[in-house]
Amino acid sequence: MTSTADGPGAVTATPAQGTPLSPDSADGGPVTHGIGASLPSTDAPAKAEGTFPYAGDLWAEGLLWAAVLRAPHPHARIVSIDTGPAAALTGVHAVVTHEDVPGDAGHGRKVADQPAFARDVVRYYGEPVAAVAADHPDTARLAAAAIAVEYEPLDAVTDPEKSFEAEPLHPDGNLIRHIPLRFGDQDITGDVVVDGLYRIGRQDPAPIGAEAGLAVPRPDGGVEIYTASTDPHTDRDLAAACFGLAPEQVKVVVTGVPGAMGDREDTGLQVPLGLLAMKTGSPVKIAATREESFLGHAHRHPTLLRYRHHADSEGRLVKVEAQILLDAGAYADTTADALAAAVSFAAGPYVVPHATIDGWAVRTNNPPSGHVRGEGAMQVCAAYEGQMDKLAAQLRMDPADLRMRNVMATGDLLPTGQTVTCPAPVAELLSAVREAPLPALPKDSPERDWLLPGGPEGAGEPGAVRRGVGYALGMVHMLGAEGTDEVSTATVKVNGPVATVMCAAVETGQGFTTLARQIVQETLGIDEVYVAPVDTDQPTAGAGAHSRHTWVSGGAVERAAKMVRTQLLQPLAAKFGMSTELLTIADGKITSYDGVLSTTVVEALEDKELWATAQCRPHPTEALDETGQGDAFVGLAFAAVRSVVDVDVELGSIRVVEMAIAQDVGRVLNPRQLNARIEAGITQGVGAALTEHLRINRGIVRQPDFTGYALPTALDAPDIRIVQLIEEQDVVAPFGAKAASAVPVVTSPAAVAAAVRAATGMPVNRLPIRPQTAVGG
Amino acid sequence: MLPTTLDEAVAALSAVPAAVPVAGGTDLMAGVNAGHLRPAALVGLGRISEIRGWQYLDGEALLGAGLTHARMGRPDFSALIPALAAGARAAGPPQIRNAGTLGGNVVSAHPTGDTLPVLAALEATLVVAGPEGARREIPVSHLLANVDMLRPSEVVGHVRVPLLHAPQTFLKATGRTGPGRAMASVAVVLDPVRRGVRCAVGAVAPMPLRPLEAERWIASLIDWDGQRGLAPEALAAFGDYVAMACIPDPAPAEEGGEAPALPPAAFHLRRTVATLARRGLGRALA
Repeated sequence: MTSTADGPGAVTATPAQGTPLSPDSADGGPVTHGIGASLPSTDAPAKAEGTFPYAGDLWAEGLLWAAVLRAPHPHARIVSIDTGPAAALTGVHAVVTHEDVPGDAGHGRKVADQPAFARDVVRYYGEPVAAVAADHPDTARLAAAAIAVEYEPLDAVTDPEKSFEAEPLHPDGNLIRHIPLRFGDQDITGDVVVDGLYRIGRQDPAPIGAEAGLAVPRPDGGVEIYTASTDPHTDRDLAAACFGLAPEQVKVVVTGVPGAMGDREDTGLQVPLGLLAMKTGSPVKIAATREESFLGHAHRHPTLLRYRHHADSEGRLVKVEAQILLDAGAYADTTADALAAAVSFAAGPYVVPHATIDGWAVRTNNPPSGHVRGEGAMQVCAAYEGQMDKLAAQLRMDPADLRMRNVMATGDLLPTGQTVTCPAPVAELLSAVREAPLPALPKDSPERDWLLPGGPEGAGEPGAVRRGVGYALGMVHMLGAEGTDEVSTATVKVNGPVATVMCAAVETGQGFTTLARQIVQETLGIDEVYVAPVDTDQPTAGAGAHSRHTWVSGGAVERAAKMVRTQLLQPLAAKFGMSTELLTIADGKITSYDGVLSTTVVEALEDKELWATAQCRPHPTEALDETGQGDAFVGLAFAAVRSVVDVDVELGSIRVVEMAIAQDVGRVLNPRQLNARIEAGITQGVGAALTEHLRINRGIVRQPDFTGYALPTALDAPDIRIVQLIEEQDVVAPFGAKAASAVPVVTSPAAVAAAVRAATGMPVNRLPIRPQTAVGG
Repeated sequence: MLPTTLDEAVAALSAVPAAVPVAGGTDLMAGVNAGHLRPAALVGLGRISEIRGWQYLDGEALLGAGLTHARMGRPDFSALIPALAAGARAAGPPQIRNAGTLGGNVVSAHPTGDTLPVLAALEATLVVAGPEGARREIPVSHLLANVDMLRPSEVVGHVRVPLLHAPQTFLKATGRTGPGRAMASVAVVLDPVRRGVRCAVGAVAPMPLRPLEAERWIASLIDWDGQRGLAPEALAAFGDYVAMACIPDPAPAEEGGEAPALPPAAFHLRRTVATLARRGLGRALA
């Protein structure tokens, strides 16, 4: 997804100083196993060749196909539902509506406020109303369309600002959460004051594979659901509650995950699937179309932000005032968490002595919002960095100098009153991107075709192109916040020369299985490590988000592996009268410090099978109190991004030339995967900055497809320069590693906006940046 | 059904009136996959060799309707009809250009079809095959304006395009650097023999628009026998003239008073059309 000076396709990943991409081992050869190796993913060849089985490839003998009927109105009362015409069609086996949901009919992560099927009211365009199982997918779709639903359309609330005053859209009321954060002196003012109003659009996670799943009824009355869930235990519990079953009677088996940027599967598909399987007694499969995928799953919260920054005459921040309004859509989902992140990071990684921040999350009849990488943090980053640029302009300071004057470091306070105890090398990150060489201007590299904004066959004209450089600093929290119980359990088994890892952490492409192999290789010296598939018979590992699996599940794997190591070495150590710490394992051999003992792991095992199970549970956090104060986060990660853009200032077309990033990663566990994660994150951030916005018109989604929703293509993805990866290990994290995927997504859009401001001189206060606002200069 | 000649294709469509002809399928099959279209039968045009190339005829080129965008984008074709080649190269990613055809682009008549403004500026004519070997001609603009429609079982066989031996340009504004649908596109064609400039604007209306007054005005300013260049001010005025013609101001309110302001998005579109027209003509005259 990156292109370089050598042409599209190559990668400009400059290794961090002192950290070569493939660190060499002591004997000079590249590290090929263990922590720090660029171990490739074992399923990469199958994925490249197209033989890797994803959820959409599932099959069972005699399966039926399901289709979901979705609401054609953003807000309407359901007068009646007549399933008769659908049930009468040949080939239709079952039709289910809200009447067939036996359990307590609420689902939804965090807050169970979402019915499996709309009961009396539909609250968003595309909400599931009924589902059909038939012997052919086309029959199922036709039958779903044949269900006669009489709606009485209601006024849709699509402007979150009007939600406060509107009639309640839901029995729980329209206000999902309000956090009034008060920090420091509320009456103080600064010498310089800048105001700004910012709007952030509705980014879609747009996974490359649409949602799919297969449900198989069990003879005991339970059901097994095969799907690409990233949070199988929560999905199981939600589904079981809807089915009126005990959690043990429902099993979620995780299949190949075709891309995940947040909560991968919408439970809106799993519940109908399970209901249909239990009603028909047959396996039932569903494969969502791209359109359904866009309508069904959760999006990034569209956000409206009003800011006022106070600074002294030398550019030091005095106070930040902010009002942040998140559009949650019709249901709460994980919105409360997104709001906590938005409010806590509203001032960014800067020292702010006083803050007045109000955050609200409200219900509307817009498409559902939920967990998408860096939620909350990304929206505020675009706003506070916009404010920093405004302050710099007001004070006639260099924007990077202004930022440098205010950066946070370890020991400083967040506006929530929490002390930053983890490494916070923000100043070093900013220096690193400032000092990185700028990409060549086209006039300096005449041998290369200049890729103008608008593309190779576009209308760009060199004389109208202005180049701009912009900076942004961003931060995210790691793991769940505000007292979420974070726990993961892993089992490591050694049998002969093979080790097996069992952990319910889902491999979403983030590289967990590769990391688990590396941890076991490092600890046990066994190269052949097999990572077992995930299902809910295993203990929970939590959702794949916020760097949870590297930290919590990786920590559990390491502990289990260390326990196996002790079991393996104890008999040897006892025999030779030395402690296990004096023995080392490498390349399948066990040696003692003095060289007296030398044996192999296989011999030491003596045909035994060693098992160990361990848990990892990071230190607890607390909820934000009624003034937004509290130690809500386990750890923080930071990044600095410099964006270089070319803007055709007559057409307003923008091309991002280069994104340079310096990132606080704690420790590099797998250089190749780390670079891939950063590049993917930046590309997603560039998409959010320029094109990615799911457009709606009065609550109705317009063009839910990849023509209407423009993702970055290879031509849009910029050169990516990883300037520096700062490895200051976080002592409380296993391996000292930090979140790597989210912080580039959070920081990149703000950097692109800053660069477009610099190129055009126009105020850029809306993401994605519309061409009409980039005409200027 | 896979006929090998145009007449066979017409016969097949006559025999099964519900059948739909398909060439590249880039528009049709997307509709089928999405469940919007359920054609009872398809007549594949891919094996008809007579519509896959082009020939010269009385100073005109007779282009096969089955020419793919990829083929039209190649240098030999570009030397012949530069604007059509530029439009074809701008039309989507390589997968689409390899499959999508000239005839399909015309018959789909999508407002953002990239060859359409070029064909409108060239005043191209369709050669349509009908039952019993009949051939009739329809100007492309008549088809796009629904003045003259294809009749049952007719198939577009060829597109007749004048060879003007003069610079032509096609410029398109999109929302991203990678391939995308046009927000606006402008084709500019010089006709030195008739001392004319022809311009068509695509994607801003259901069919390409021809700003005829602007064409006549700018053609009168060009020194056709000498250096054809124009002053930057004249180019800019042409751009504004074209843009005002295509995206006019809203009509004044009924009971007099101020006309409502153009919405910001429409204003930006007008500005974009003006820029494209100015640049397009400037490059054609450079």
